[in-house]
Amino acid sequence: MRAFAVAFFLAAPLALFAQHGRYFRDSHHPSIGNPEAIATGTKLFMGSCAGCHGPDGGGGARGPNLVRRSLWHPLSDEAIFQVIRKGVPGTDMPPTKLGDEQTWNLVAFIHALTGPASANPVPGDAAAGKAVYWGAKAGCSSCHAIHGEGGRLGPDLSNIGGSRPLAVIRESVVEPAKDLAYLGNEAATVVLKNGTTLEGAAKNRSNYSLQLVDKQGKLHLLQMRDVKQLTLSESSPMPADYAKRLTKEELRDLLAYLADQDIRKGSK
Amino acid sequence: MARTTVWTLTLALAASAQVRHEDIAKGALADWLTYAGTYSGWRYSPLKQINAENAKNMVAKWVYHVPNARGLRSSPIVHEGVLYITDTNSVYAVDARSGRLVWRYADPRAQKGGVNRGAAIWGNRIYFTTSDNFLVALDRQSGVLIFNKQFADVEKGTTSTSVPLIAKGKVIVGSAGGDSGMRGFIMALSAETGDELWKTYTVPAKGEKGSETWGDLIEWGGGAAWLSGTYDPGLDMLYWTTGNPWPDYNGSVRQGDNLYTCSLLALDLDSGKMNWYFQFTPHDTHDWDAQSWPVLMDTEIRGQQRKVVLHANRNGFFYALDRVTGEFLRATQLIDKVTWAKGIDDKGRPVPAGNSEPTPQGNWVCPSVKGATNWMGQSYNPGTGLLYVLTLEQCGMYFSSSQQPQPMKNFSGGGATEEGGQVVLRALDPKTGRRVWEYPMTGFGRMWTGTVSTAGGVIFTGDDDGHMVALDAKNGKNLWHFNVGELLTASPVT
Repeated sequence: MRAFAVAFFLAAPLALFAQHGRYFRDSHHPSIGNPEAIATGTKLFMGSCAGCHGPDGGGGARGPNLVRRSLWHPLSDEAIFQVIRKGVPGTDMPPTKLGDEQTWNLVAFIHALTGPASANPVPGDAAAGKAVYWGAKAGCSSCHAIHGEGGRLGPDLSNIGGSRPLAVIRESVVEPAKDLAYLGNEAATVVLKNGTTLEGAAKNRSNYSLQLVDKQGKLHLLQMRDVKQLTLSESSPMPADYAKRLTKEELRDLLAYLADQDIRKGSK
Repeated sequence: MARTTVWTLTLALAASAQVRHEDIAKGALADWLTYAGTYSGWRYSPLKQINAENAKNMVAKWVYHVPNARGLRSSPIVHEGVLYITDTNSVYAVDARSGRLVWRYADPRAQKGGVNRGAAIWGNRIYFTTSDNFLVALDRQSGVLIFNKQFADVEKGTTSTSVPLIAKGKVIVGSAGGDSGMRGFIMALSAETGDELWKTYTVPAKGEKGSETWGDLIEWGGGAAWLSGTYDPGLDMLYWTTGNPWPDYNGSVRQGDNLYTCSLLALDLDSGKMNWYFQFTPHDTHDWDAQSWPVLMDTEIRGQQRKVVLHANRNGFFYALDRVTGEFLRATQLIDKVTWAKGIDDKGRPVPAGNSEPTPQGNWVCPSVKGATNWMGQSYNPGTGLLYVLTLEQCGMYFSSSQQPQPMKNFSGGGATEEGGQVVLRALDPKTGRRVWEYPMTGFGRMWTGTVSTAGGVIFTGDDDGHMVALDAKNGKNLWHFNVGELLTASPVT
């Protein structure tokens, strides 16, 4: 099987995100959710932590992704506090000598990283990113829609900033293959017994039926008994070269624009 | 946790593209394009593949479990083989043949919870409202968001549970929240953009006509429009019901009729202007919202052919009004036990029986707070000429509170109980208001299922014991039943 040339963008809704990415919301420490504490924590993080963990906590050469981690059970804010204080023995994570307040500010920042990108300060120029998004070089809108404008094959991005942390959005843009295994956005080619060939995204499928949205955005409700051959892409149809295709500034601005896509902006 | 399920028993497919006004106006066929199936509120389908002879052969095809749902209130919209179902702040598009999910839209950051009564369709879009008053438009095939626009402020006590009605490109929505104090309204929004076209309040502002029927709490008077309504394309008139006045059980702080609560309003579709109103329960103190479907038909009453609106009301009476003028034509008793009124006078006003007000010690009154019927869908079958209405024979204690009313604090001025009770499906003759037959159910008076009836002469509904049932539309004979494992909480479609 091989992928056909349909470009998907973000492999968005992450099925296990709720378990994997979230911290317990059991902390009542006043710094959690406090904008001043988060701002102070941001400075501390950029100065001491970003070198290993990446500027958005998305992981780097020496430090793991803090936003979407491999643990099944999420950590509490208190446990993160202890890791910052004591380090992780046997790894590159050193102990620190930060005071309680500073440490909590850092925890507040890390906690905020797991929240929607739109709720946190994001570097870059969203207006410039808008031009990148809708421009031919990135070509995002050929597959993705924002408020109904754009393609229907990739996930809707109208609320991407309101529903995903920045680091997750970045990873989906730069390393889309990581999250392809997602029933609901598989690239599929279907040959029907009547000779018709359809290409699009399999919104859902079972041994008996297939729900496919084609490149024109039209929904086909198929029964597998009418299907001669179904070919599913093994890799993400989302181009994997955005880190090279776009300049650093373009990528940063594009992420700022995506972070700004929030359907709850201005709600009362 | 109880899971809530959507059942499909039969369906038919049709090919059509964009849904137009004329398509909805035609009424249900292979598609089901508006909550009540027809603008006139009939919940009637001309399909007849299933009939009184073969209904006994029906088998379940599939079950779709809406994740974490508790008592869905949504009646599916069906178009080109896809069912559109809503739950709180979410929409599910389901392949009607297989029961498989096509897409889901959810807005978990909505500020409020609460039930949602369903979606509407127009063009290539599916519409629904979030509990914090956003009108959301989605691409019907992919689920892609087209727009979401807020039409009312939750800070003023307004939430949204209603199913939108779409006529001539106008999306008609209403307000919920009347039990905690708010000012009810009905609004028309543009289907194209979500922009406000008109807004009609169900309670007048201070100084306006009708405000003399209130006291100081008029700004929080309630009169919610939490269900939906019906529409007469010929007259271009909307028929919308309004909820109870606030505080629900303490009438001493709002002396007067409390217009236009517990009423039926006839509104001009283009302007929202109130052409007439009819108040079923003046100065209500029993939480008898008028939320039940205004059913539109042309029929003969006392020897004269008339355009009527029929309304089975929570207060225990079944009304017929002239839908052009609002003239009261007739009221008959809907249930056996009505203790609060001796009857309805020739102007349509209840004749009080006395000693039925809520008191600090409690007062035993029939019907109960749930009412003689409620929001669940009735159906009218032109083949039998009968209207099928789920009724509840139940009484309860009504208590009043002397506490100072506080808006938006979940204060209702008292409380009420529901005791025992029996659900009875009744077939009523629109010409006379009399019962033709009835189907009593076993159970505890808890069901909320509506009805649908077909040209095949079958009524589909839920019973009070967790079964889906098919009844003979001519005589109420049970043709088929299927145990779904829990009470059905919304109206079926076919």
